[in-house]
Amino acid sequence: MFIGATTAVLVAMTLVLYRAFAGPTLFDRVLSANSFGTKIVLLIGLLGFLTDRPEFLDIALLYALVNFIGTIAILKFFRYRNMGLSSDEIASREDEG
Amino acid sequence: MRHHLILRVVSKMLIPFILLFGLYVQFHGDFGPGGGFQAGVIFAAAFILYALVFGDDQARKVIPDKALILLVPMGLLIYALTGFAGILLGGKFLDYDVLSSDPTQGQHLGILVIELGVGITVAAVMISIFRAYAGRTKAIDKEDW
Repeated sequence: MFIGATTAVLVAMTLVLYRAFAGPTLFDRVLSANSFGTKIVLLIGLLGFLTDRPEFLDIALLYALVNFIGTIAILKFFRYRNMGLSSDEIASREDEG
Repeated sequence: MRHHLILRVVSKMLIPFILLFGLYVQFHGDFGPGGGFQAGVIFAAAFILYALVFGDDQARKVIPDKALILLVPMGLLIYALTGFAGILLGGKFLDYDVLSSDPTQGQHLGILVIELGVGITVAAVMISIFRAYAGRTKAIDKEDW
């Protein structure tokens, strides 16, 4: 059962990779990078059960976390071109337009 | 406070658990995957998330630059002093056996303190690296976006 699930996740990963390379917009690529991270989390969990090492779940948890923070960082950088922008500056910027 | 409300709420809920997970990786490192370096990176990730969502100026209030400058050498100092403590107590450099009357106990104590030093230094360095890059470029203008 775990082998079937792993194959399914791998197929899904290739589809997501295709979207990452084909684009066409930045947000397609960001979304596909994020989904790819989610699928890696699933794959790590499945590999942990396949190889009888449940402590892989720790790594999967960490990967989900890093994926979340990375996506926020990428989106913030491409939206404001500055990772340290404060909330007041964001509010003034958003209210302008 | 009106913008990115979901991001703010989710981050506020997530940050304590990230810190907790960092501590778990730090102190559970002898038994499972993990250790000082990984724990330091996870711990720094919480502060980086805070800086991303609430702004670099707010993050600098939580950990001022002066504290970072102290924390980076402090972790290294903990590591080095543990090593020299082994020499002073009659062993070799980084010899944990002599740290306690029972060698097994000494090994446990030694690796715990060493990993703590590594964790502190790595966390502080990671936050410093993020800060060095975060505030560097001028924010893009409305017309250029």
